Amino acid sequence: MNCGFCGRKLPGKIEQKPCGACPGGCRKIHCPWCGYANPAPPKLWRKRPGGDDKKQED
Amino acid sequence: MSSAVPGTPARIVLVGNPNVGKSVLFNALTGAYTTVSNYPGTSVEVSRGHCTIGPTRFEVLDTPGMYSLLPITEEERVARKILLTEDQHLVVHVVDARNLDRMLPMTLQLVEAGLPVILVVNIMDEAERHGMQIDTGLLQEKLGIPVIAAATARKRGLDEIRSAITGYDRGRRALFGYAADLESDIEQVGGTLVGNYPLAPRAVALLLLQKDEEVEQMVREREGERYAAVAEAVKTVIFERRADLHLRISMERKRVCRGLLDGVIRQEEGRRPPFAERLSGWMVNPWTGVPILLLALYLGLYKFVGGFGAGTVVDFLEGTLFERYINPWFIDQAGHLIPWYWLRELIVGEYGVFTLGVRYAVALVLPIVGTFFLAFSLIEDTGYFPRLALLVDRIFKKIGLSGRAVIPMVLGFGCDTMATMVTRTLETVRERVIATVLLALAIPCSAQLGVILGLFSGVPGSLAVWSVCIALVFLLIGFLAARVLPGESPMFYMELPPLRLPQLRNVLIKTFSRMQAYFLEIFPLFIIASVLLWAGKMTGVLDRLVSLLSPVMDTLGLPREAAAAFIFGFFRRDFGAAGLYDLQTNGLLDAAQLAVAGVTLTLFVPCIAQFLMMKKERGWKTSIGIFVFVSLLAFATGWALNQFLLMTGLLR
Repeated sequence: MNCGFCGRKLPGKIEQKPCGACPGGCRKIHCPWCGYANPAPPKLWRKRPGGDDKKQED
Repeated sequence: MSSAVPGTPARIVLVGNPNVGKSVLFNALTGAYTTVSNYPGTSVEVSRGHCTIGPTRFEVLDTPGMYSLLPITEEERVARKILLTEDQHLVVHVVDARNLDRMLPMTLQLVEAGLPVILVVNIMDEAERHGMQIDTGLLQEKLGIPVIAAATARKRGLDEIRSAITGYDRGRRALFGYAADLESDIEQVGGTLVGNYPLAPRAVALLLLQKDEEVEQMVREREGERYAAVAEAVKTVIFERRADLHLRISMERKRVCRGLLDGVIRQEEGRRPPFAERLSGWMVNPWTGVPILLLALYLGLYKFVGGFGAGTVVDFLEGTLFERYINPWFIDQAGHLIPWYWLRELIVGEYGVFTLGVRYAVALVLPIVGTFFLAFSLIEDTGYFPRLALLVDRIFKKIGLSGRAVIPMVLGFGCDTMATMVTRTLETVRERVIATVLLALAIPCSAQLGVILGLFSGVPGSLAVWSVCIALVFLLIGFLAARVLPGESPMFYMELPPLRLPQLRNVLIKTFSRMQAYFLEIFPLFIIASVLLWAGKMTGVLDRLVSLLSPVMDTLGLPREAAAAFIFGFFRRDFGAAGLYDLQTNGLLDAAQLAVAGVTLTLFVPCIAQFLMMKKERGWKTSIGIFVFVSLLAFATGWALNQFLLMTGLLR
């Protein structure tokens, strides 16, 4: 998944401190380069066969 | 050939941005027998393989994608660690020919670090298809390292890469000069470095000036007692410059790269640059960029969100489905099954959990927000937002911000609460405070904006007045805030990612994800708000509040019933906007009143969640100050607008 603002590839795992404003936990991925808040793909999408959790790109 | 341990193969390290074809080159060099393992102590995978070129055997490492020698992510940290700790014979930097100007600064960093670098300009076939001609010979001459044109997916350039690996001349090295002041800073810090480093002192000095913690630690270990002198030199430079040195160094590197690429990249004669490139240029040029922005707002927001979302979809869901079928059935069932008036009122009354909370959330706000998120994700996926940042940079500088502030502003149109948190990515406290004020005041969140567009979809005159008014308040308050809070506007620099056609999959996933997050957030709040309003009605508190606000409504030229919408707005701005929507559909507001109510409610106090976030980010004092200021300004602007409309007869 690429950042919607700077276009850089978002790392698979990002350590981030959520603001705690959203009930049920944070559903955003803050780009480590520009800070843009990207929506995290839904869990079902990530866990499907060949989903983002498993895909490796160059 | 150099090698860490005699008898072990020399090591070749492949580095570069993600998706430039490193792994394709790795597979082409090493063949089928490779191992993939996590780099020690991390979850980042590194591939290792072997190849034999001529008589020499090499070990090849495929590193994770990295954008710069200054790491931000774990992947970049691992890639740099490999460069720092593994004794490499060669570093092969793979870049995408189509984005050579964006990727060359890292080549510069690698050369500057004293590493033995070969530059592979990959994906040449695609670049040539777009009419790009790259003179790799000239670039090689300027860089002083081997530069090879390749299309590794088509096996083009592989032999040349192999030859360059075996025939690498480690004696050649080019030097690139920066501006005199920066060179003097580098010398000041570099001169204090005495220890033995895997990178050239010049590169170490640059990383120290950019506050690289890992390099700081390395210098601390290698300098021992001399570290104090190094730290003092770094501190002195940072204090003297009082500027973001990271940005300064990036811009200098960009300038050097522009010089290196001068005459290297040409567009084939008779062939114009690709349409995406020309469109990208139009988007950042004020003469063409502003009309493009207005067109995107008109089609994306006014027609799609206001016309289709708030018109067609809401008419069907709210007007047909809820009003004709669902609500009457629920009210009828409640009438039969619930004998207690207070409980009937709680569930299906004027402010009932179902008739108000669920209806607002599901039938009114969700479809509007859904269409807004769809338009937003579509525009976002094209890569338009960074171009918008460049377009508005000059105007933003007048209000104490820079193009970088486009990130929280754009995010504010989604949710102001999250955008308030994102203001922490801005460079200075001054910028953060100004951005927080403007977000609380003049940036409506997605739901509020959507409902307001829906309100105005049938009355374009009111929409024009609302748009001009909000834009004026945004600029005026920003301008004044920049004067009250002294300081310079920071520099803004960013690399533009390529403009692209939006991908349906990306757009749908992002839209769904945003809608899901939004719905989960607002649904319980809408229910709680209905319960509070019901309690207010049953105890008479709501009537008293409406009576209290009635003189304010009179001053604004609004009907008494509008007070309820403002009370709703205290819970959430979108809840308030939905209240106005109800008033308008019941014919209680004319065009002028609609404009006044829309402006006042947009500028009105931030919602509870945003206020709490303001307090968290800026502290009690600043957030209460912003709250009071915004509330007073909202009503003052509403009053002034009403007077203006009365005097001019506009919209009457």
